[in-house]
Amino acid sequence: MGDVIRIIIAEPSTLIREGLMQVLKATAHQFYIHKVDSLEQIWDLQQRHTIDVVCINPGIVLQAPEQISRLRSSMEAASWGGIVYSYYDPRLLSQFNFLLHITDEPNVIVDTILQAANYSRQAENSSQHALSDREIDVLRLLVAGKSNKEIADALNISVHTVISHRKNISVKTGIKSVSGLTIFAVVKNLINVSGF
Amino acid sequence: MYREKGMLVSEDMKMSDVILHNYYLLIMLEHFDMSLVVQEKTIKEICQENNINVEVFLAFANLFNGFGYRPINVYSAGDLDTIIKYLRRSHQYYLEEKCPGIYDFIKQLSEVNNTPEIKMLDTFFEEYVQEVTEHLNYENSIVFPYMLELFSKSRETIVTPEPRNYSVTEYKNQHKDIEEKLTDLKNLLIKYMPQQNDRQIRRRLLFSLFEFEYDLHVHSQIEDSILIPLVEELEKQLKKR
Repeated sequence: MGDVIRIIIAEPSTLIREGLMQVLKATAHQFYIHKVDSLEQIWDLQQRHTIDVVCINPGIVLQAPEQISRLRSSMEAASWGGIVYSYYDPRLLSQFNFLLHITDEPNVIVDTILQAANYSRQAENSSQHALSDREIDVLRLLVAGKSNKEIADALNISVHTVISHRKNISVKTGIKSVSGLTIFAVVKNLINVSGF
Repeated sequence: MYREKGMLVSEDMKMSDVILHNYYLLIMLEHFDMSLVVQEKTIKEICQENNINVEVFLAFANLFNGFGYRPINVYSAGDLDTIIKYLRRSHQYYLEEKCPGIYDFIKQLSEVNNTPEIKMLDTFFEEYVQEVTEHLNYENSIVFPYMLELFSKSRETIVTPEPRNYSVTEYKNQHKDIEEKLTDLKNLLIKYMPQQNDRQIRRRLLFSLFEFEYDLHVHSQIEDSILIPLVEELEKQLKKR
């Protein structure tokens, strides 16, 4: 597959669709672009190719939310971006992995898409790093049976931060369940086994 | 394997070619209650002999070969019976063969590598099997009968409307936990659990876990992207009456 980035563009406005394609074609990067005008075509394409990025008009998502969510779950590797040039509900826009705005400079558009493509490739092989000291603190409390709120209070951080530490712990270790993390903590000598 | 796209299966292909391309399909044939000896027959012929809508077979086979599900309106509520039988048979296989087999490997592992960590793994899997059993029993005894009842109602011409306080939507995505813990187990064995005279048995255990994960992944896809939409459609139709 090399460095070719495969993109689907689903945008009814010819002006905007062609404009976006011109911006992408003017770069040194290799983009393979599919123009589609129905969701059916996206189903077909994702059966035949691994799609990196989908740039889609949010209006299309709004019309067929269920079909879109099924598409997204069968295209686990793809990153989805909204092409925004009119007002949409922020809740709708928050469902996208990235957004392209009509006022964005060409280099911003290209960077955004490159980042999205990279992101989608990384999603497949999670990066491997050691846990930070703070993450170890969270892990110890977590496997001791503490709730997010209790961990937040004990470490004097917000619940939101606890959740983000927990997410990182799972990405780094590849382990999601608390019982699995408990075994991890014992293997790594982070907690004493006698308590279990 | 299911993340890589394989051969896109179509009805005129020989069943043997398809199996030789991806031997995981053998377990699929078993779940469909088909013979594993396929002679020179095509997929279409074998499906006809077994009274199975070939489109259902193709959809499942292509999920096994790594293709996303593509909604085409070829399924009818009549296929519900085929799909549910398939799922029930896979449940039976998980509970009576796959899980006990994996558990056996873990026991063997703890015999050669007798550490507290491996004992914890043992408990981890024991609890896991309990969760799986509960979930599958729930599907067998609540969800599937509900779906079949819905189907038989949809065929009656006169339906007496009655308040229904259950809907399939409730049970969407419940498989996630089951798949997640299996991934945890794999990661623990590959990355962290210290090895001690157990390479061979660990490899057998891992092979078995990968197999189970693969089957289970397709199983969830079948339920979430084929079965549930089909039943949601039925629910909608019945509400309209």
